Amino acid sequence: MAKLRVAVDVGGTFTDICVMNEETGAMEIAKVPSTPKDPIEAIISGVRDAAGVDLRDVVLFSHGTTVATNALITRKLPSAAMVATRGFRDIIEIRRGTKSDLWDAYKDVAPPYIRRRDRFEVAERIDFEGNVLEGLDETEARRIAGILRKRAVEAVAVCFINSYANPANELRMKAILEEELPGVAISTSSEILPEIFEHERFSTTVANAVLSPIIGGYVRRLQSRLNEGGYEGDVLLFHSGGGVMTPQAAEKLAVRLASSGIAAGAIASRWIGVLCGYPNAIGLDMGGTSTDISLSYQGVERTTKEWLVEYGYPICFPSIEVLTIGAGGGSLAWIDPAGALHNGPQSAGADPGPACYQRGNEQATNTDANVVLGRLGESLIGGAMLLDRAAAERSVADLGAQLGMDTIAAARAVIRVANANMADAVRLIAIRRGYDPREFALVAFGGAGALHGADVARELSIPTVLVPPNPGITAALGCLLVDVKHDLSEMYLATVADADPVKIEQEFVRLEAEAQTLLADEGVPPEQREVERSIDMRYLGQWRSLGVAVGSPVDVEAAVARFHAEHEREYSYRRDGAAIEIYRLNVKALGVTPKPEFQKHAKTGVAPVPRTTRPAWFDGDGPALDTPVFDRSTIAAGSVIHGPAIFEQLDSTVVVPPGWRAEVDEWLNIRMHDEEAGK
Amino acid sequence: MSTQSRGTTLDPVTFEVLKNAFVNAVDQMGEQILRTCHSFVIYARDFSSALCNAEGATIMQGNQDIAVHVGTLHYTAKAVIDAFAGDIHPGDVFLINDPYAGGTHFNDARIVRPIFVDGEIIAYSQSCGHWADMGGSVPGSFDITARDHFGEGLRITPIRIWDKGRYLGDIVRMIASNTRAPGDIIGDLHAQAEATRVCEREILRLVEKYGKDTVLTAFDEVQDYVERLTRQRIAELPDGVWQTEDYIDFDPNEGEGLVPIKVKMTIEGDQLTYDLSGSHASVGTFLNAAFGSAFSAVIAGTKTFFPDVPLNAGFYRAVQVDLGPVGSVVNAAWPTAVTGFCAGPHEKIMNSIFELWSVLKPERALACSFNLEYLLVGGRDGRTAEKNYFMWYDWMAGGWGGRNGRDGSNCTSPVFGVGLAVQPLEGQERLSPVITTEHSILKDSGGPGLYRGGCGVQKGGTLTRAEGAVISYACDRARSVVWGIGGGLPSIPHGVWLNGEFLGAVFSNVDVKQGDVFTRPSAGGGGYGDPLARDPEAVKEDVADDYVSIERALKDYGVSIREVDADLALYEVDAAATAEARAGIRAARKGWLSEPAEGIAARYRAGELDAMDCLRQHGVVLDWGTGALFPNTTVTFREMLHRRAVPHWA
Repeated sequence: MAKLRVAVDVGGTFTDICVMNEETGAMEIAKVPSTPKDPIEAIISGVRDAAGVDLRDVVLFSHGTTVATNALITRKLPSAAMVATRGFRDIIEIRRGTKSDLWDAYKDVAPPYIRRRDRFEVAERIDFEGNVLEGLDETEARRIAGILRKRAVEAVAVCFINSYANPANELRMKAILEEELPGVAISTSSEILPEIFEHERFSTTVANAVLSPIIGGYVRRLQSRLNEGGYEGDVLLFHSGGGVMTPQAAEKLAVRLASSGIAAGAIASRWIGVLCGYPNAIGLDMGGTSTDISLSYQGVERTTKEWLVEYGYPICFPSIEVLTIGAGGGSLAWIDPAGALHNGPQSAGADPGPACYQRGNEQATNTDANVVLGRLGESLIGGAMLLDRAAAERSVADLGAQLGMDTIAAARAVIRVANANMADAVRLIAIRRGYDPREFALVAFGGAGALHGADVARELSIPTVLVPPNPGITAALGCLLVDVKHDLSEMYLATVADADPVKIEQEFVRLEAEAQTLLADEGVPPEQREVERSIDMRYLGQWRSLGVAVGSPVDVEAAVARFHAEHEREYSYRRDGAAIEIYRLNVKALGVTPKPEFQKHAKTGVAPVPRTTRPAWFDGDGPALDTPVFDRSTIAAGSVIHGPAIFEQLDSTVVVPPGWRAEVDEWLNIRMHDEEAGK
Repeated sequence: MSTQSRGTTLDPVTFEVLKNAFVNAVDQMGEQILRTCHSFVIYARDFSSALCNAEGATIMQGNQDIAVHVGTLHYTAKAVIDAFAGDIHPGDVFLINDPYAGGTHFNDARIVRPIFVDGEIIAYSQSCGHWADMGGSVPGSFDITARDHFGEGLRITPIRIWDKGRYLGDIVRMIASNTRAPGDIIGDLHAQAEATRVCEREILRLVEKYGKDTVLTAFDEVQDYVERLTRQRIAELPDGVWQTEDYIDFDPNEGEGLVPIKVKMTIEGDQLTYDLSGSHASVGTFLNAAFGSAFSAVIAGTKTFFPDVPLNAGFYRAVQVDLGPVGSVVNAAWPTAVTGFCAGPHEKIMNSIFELWSVLKPERALACSFNLEYLLVGGRDGRTAEKNYFMWYDWMAGGWGGRNGRDGSNCTSPVFGVGLAVQPLEGQERLSPVITTEHSILKDSGGPGLYRGGCGVQKGGTLTRAEGAVISYACDRARSVVWGIGGGLPSIPHGVWLNGEFLGAVFSNVDVKQGDVFTRPSAGGGGYGDPLARDPEAVKEDVADDYVSIERALKDYGVSIREVDADLALYEVDAAATAEARAGIRAARKGWLSEPAEGIAARYRAGELDAMDCLRQHGVVLDWGTGALFPNTTVTFREMLHRRAVPHWA
């Protein structure tokens, strides 16, 4: 009997499946259309029929899903209510008052997830130190519970001021609601996110409350369908922090699944980077309408605590930092009335799609420019999709006429602007934070990442580009490679001078015990458990803090030294004399899943043979080059090909421009090296 | 859309790449400031960044910049250049906060760094941030009663703070020592100076890659581009002259009576011109604007109707502004107090411009929005042994004006800067002996209209162990109440209530002690269109969400709502009663506006009418505490309603 690991990533259009044989390291992939009405249908049929997997052979099933994200965006949410401290039910509507678009008075922030008529207030109050100024008014609490029962709500968020300092009133409210409303999911802000700042804590709690019935039902059904098929383990759910959690944990912390899909690509690019010997990797995941950019440094992804699905409603769990910009294959090229050429963020998307799809859009997109330049073929392998070169040329020629350029020059212009926009985005996430791109590899994936990867890399002086064997299913690969992960934290507000190292150590020990319990509950054996400590610190008076890793027992002095160094790396200055404040203590708990070896392919020494050649135009203003086009599936490990060259495969096209050398490694990654780097 | 119109020498790709790179360089400054600043005001996004050319003209301003700084950074760059001409060296960094040289107010400190290539200055990077305190007579440096700049804070004319790379700590210490938060001020100064270096690094990278000449050409061409883009948009509009006026509540030098700010807008071909010359003389409070901040208000107001046009000197070239004679409320001269410009003229100019453009671009129409307001409680914190100085410095979100086809936005940051974030009260309670008792949407605060104004917010607080504390407030529009357009009605007055007593919308240094309770609303937005034309179902939904009361649904909209089951938030419209109520209001409302004002005031004092009745039905303005009538103010306010509302009532 085979021992298989299966990872399934459900996106809006496709459900991607990655199957790895634990013994051989061999990997199979499959892509089936998603079934938005009930995503579980595509999962079950895709795994069984498309990937040919018998669930009885599966030892580990992991899953990334957009169920939570979609529910928030489409507002298809269960009937939910909020109970807040008297005077504060509108915190989630007042928010911080800001808008994402500073200038457009007609661009609105979305309304809160719970309407005002469903938000209730009860008398109670805790002060900043956790003293109970006013106990919970239990008569009022029961009256509210009665109304909620009458309204048949499925979830309640309990959000009291200063509950991070003392959860007593919130917990009492929860107990009353549980008594009066059996079976209703209750989320309290002190349990979901015990951190200072009411809007951020309430917003996270409300998102959790509205998602918990949805996620609860979804994971229970998926788990039972998989078990019926013979899978005996827990389905592991991929969360925004870049780890997985069990169904039990997901029901309580449903909100952690809210960026499941985006983070998986970042995990995969980190993994591919490490596998190829590049612990510093920038992920460039370019799809039809947007590009997701992520960064990992020394084998660790950058994470952020400022994250959201919709502007104004933060979800403050550590989440893989992904910068999304509106640059994709379908991004439209356009000229404004003053004659400047723009690229995106408007997109023709998948439908009608680029002009060359001939589905009604006649405006040039990046895909059209790539077709005109011969970088994309007219028939993608297998002929599943035909691209109309004449239509692409018409669209680009029209643009060129407005710019006074011929068609080729216009196509080059479109691509150069797109690449420069992507490079600018990488600069924001990398250079701006003190990372030198020359020390990184660019991992290019998504449908269009490998078309643009080399040019973007050169723009940034990144010398190496890695393209995984299946660039289009990288998110599913990311799901396959993760560990069980939990993030716990505790506020600790004191200057370093006033901080009590004994108390800090006690807090860490307490958090670690909590973490161990979580992992034990999920069945992670002790030898596979890891806990990591960090302290968020800042110069006294600053508003943002920086996380600094610490050991056990805590050495505050060493942490201070590391803080100065990190501040200098990230912001290019330090203030040695200034007082430092401790803000928060964090524990990351990992249940490490053993990672199988990918299957290695022997170097055959067989020289690659191009399927055909075609003229292609590259960056600069040179003429077309007769460029060999290879079928990627025929290229053996160990092959070395000098650009210009093009590799075509089912889900992607890889462009090797002149001056680049492509090597196919033993895992069949294409590694492109810029032979002009450093010159 | 012809190629001739480009008129550039750079190829379109290099142009676009460099234009975006300049935006990126400036945005990187903003990113860095947000992550390293000390002042909570900066952290709440009261900052801006710019790249200026060798003459000081703005090449690019940040995407996330606060509106109120827009159009002022070139003035302060030029002030530095003028002051140090011939004496600017690599490694130098300069500081200026001078509102009389084009700055905004003393708290807005600007750090300016020259960028050198081959020994030649090619540009300046500038970071402007609102420091928490700049000295003066009150904490936070917002003294409403200040008559001149000496009472307001420390004026910093251009000075050097790094000399060829050497940090001039003695100078910085002297400045910081004149403020109430020296540690934070030094921290912010370093954070801003480093931010300007981030921009310098990016520009030098571009010079290395593209060459100095190309970058310098791009500096010019991005300005030309924005000017061309703006002029093209203006040329598409009909020629004409439009004018309006808005008001500051009063000038203590002249007693009761609204203070006019006049805005005349002219379009002739591709030229847009504003003329503010009919505005009132400088007032005897700090609600005056010097030229920089008045210009900023014109630019920010106009930009609201061109949200996609980048901001740089090209925009400023396409928009001509005549502020009129020096010495007015919109063109104040040294040493007139100007720190309150943001709550005074800036708001009035912006909202006037919104009204004018609502006629020209009805698809983007916007009624008046709530007024920027700052409440400050400062004193000693008795909770700690050291009794540290505390500053509870608070501003609120409020309602924006009703729009064409849509209600105004509820509880949104002020037009002064929609990036200005409301502070978390849990953070405030740790730092200050003030407990927030309420932070809620204020029912009925949205100005009634076909599309109602957004709702304002009510915030209350009580002092715990504060010692030697005082309270000050910088706002306006207790009398010049937020107005509607196209038949829409006013919202509610601004103003602070202390232990049940009305202190008004501007006051300074009122003593407060432990146990004192203060509360204040932010106004809603003004209404758009006739409220009697509003869909009764929309009124019913507002009642279900408690944005509007059943009582005011009837009074303001003539819609009769019946409660079906409040537990289920179920209500229904009584159609017959609604038709009757609307007919009654329609027949009577013009008459209400000419009823003797003193009689209305008497009924207010007797508790028969509330402020909303006085303003929305009768156009009568009172001292909301005593109920005393402001006769002059009422005359002007009624004239205003006859312009903005009555002609649109069917």
